[in-house]
Amino acid sequence: MTVLRADRLEYDDALELIEDYHRRGWTDGLPIVPPTPEAVERFLGAAGLEADAVLGTVPTREVVVTAEHAAINAVMAGCLPEYMPVVVAAVRAHLHEKANCHSTTGTLSGASQLVIINGPVRAELGVACTAGCFGPGFRPNATIGRALRLVIRNVCRSVPGFLDRATFSSPLRYSFCFGEDEEGSDWLPLHVERGFAPGSSAVTVHSVMYMVSSPDYTSRTPEGVLDSLARTIRRQGTAGDRWLGDGTNVVAVIGPEHRRYLVDAGWSKADAREYLWPKLTAPQQPGEGKVKLGHPEGLLLVAAGGPGMAETWVMFPHLAWAITEPVR
Amino acid sequence: MAARLIGLDPTSGPLPDTTGKVAPRPSSLDGAVVGLVANGLGEAEAFLSALYDELVNTHHITAAIPVVKSSVSVPPEPDDWQRLTEGATVAITGFGG
Repeated sequence: MTVLRADRLEYDDALELIEDYHRRGWTDGLPIVPPTPEAVERFLGAAGLEADAVLGTVPTREVVVTAEHAAINAVMAGCLPEYMPVVVAAVRAHLHEKANCHSTTGTLSGASQLVIINGPVRAELGVACTAGCFGPGFRPNATIGRALRLVIRNVCRSVPGFLDRATFSSPLRYSFCFGEDEEGSDWLPLHVERGFAPGSSAVTVHSVMYMVSSPDYTSRTPEGVLDSLARTIRRQGTAGDRWLGDGTNVVAVIGPEHRRYLVDAGWSKADAREYLWPKLTAPQQPGEGKVKLGHPEGLLLVAAGGPGMAETWVMFPHLAWAITEPVR
Repeated sequence: MAARLIGLDPTSGPLPDTTGKVAPRPSSLDGAVVGLVANGLGEAEAFLSALYDELVNTHHITAAIPVVKSSVSVPPEPDDWQRLTEGATVAITGFGG
């Protein structure tokens, strides 16, 4: 049996524990599930990890994040034990050097951490990928994203007023997680495009500085839909710096009302990127931001969302790469 | 007697108490070497340069140690920290874009 190292606190009942965790600043302001030793051991068992397994570090904060940390916070977030491998993958991705977590979670801009889930694990857990998938009502989406944010707060010390210096912050920092609608088209899933095997499961974490809708209700062709998307991206521009080099990403989540014009015309994600690339990299015009993508593959196209609204959502990056980690 | 509910500490340790604590201030800037740490955003370099010029006009500042971060999103390099901690009497920085 694995050895838990976290300090133990005793309470008369769950309500007393929840109120004390609030008082200690260990929650995001919402109630939590009591992280009992038994629950945490179940979560570690579900991921096949020892408590002291290191998931990553934050060198600037002298923080080492262990599987026990992740399990405690996943229990608190309301996860089920079977979500734990996905939470672990998300934490590992977030702690990748080029995910730049010190910057993305301390920033004045209040960047959020988007978790995109791919592969069979979506169906196994019931991850929402279609209508309403950005919003409330789906336990895996709500709690996996929240678990990552609680790790960021409690373990990595991004507490508002301390190492979280956001000017406004964002409601997306409660939780932001959805799955790709892989069944909605024959497009290659995001993780497969990023080198993972078909049939495997993976998690991509992307730090979002802001998200902008790119609606287009009139275009009926791939070119028209993508021209609208290119205008949206160029108007805003993207963040980047020398240390990040050419590895930054923009995530465009293409809803079914836009996707069908591409799919029906036989366009793959690669075809869409090939069309978009010269438009994104054409000389900057007045009123436009600079698009600092290093190569076409930096544009990550994801299928998700439900029918009705002809829009694509663009997730502009903070100063980080989007990182994909396997679900083991 | 009913069993007590055990909860595990979810943190990596207590946060340091930084409330109200600031580094000791020198009584005078006369003879000081001023570190100027620009974060690379906006007009930070120009602002710090102008601020330094103003300080030179009002105090007997000896020299400046300018540091411009190599990238916006990462801390200063170890060499820059060393130059500042070994050579500067005080340092000025800012945050924001």
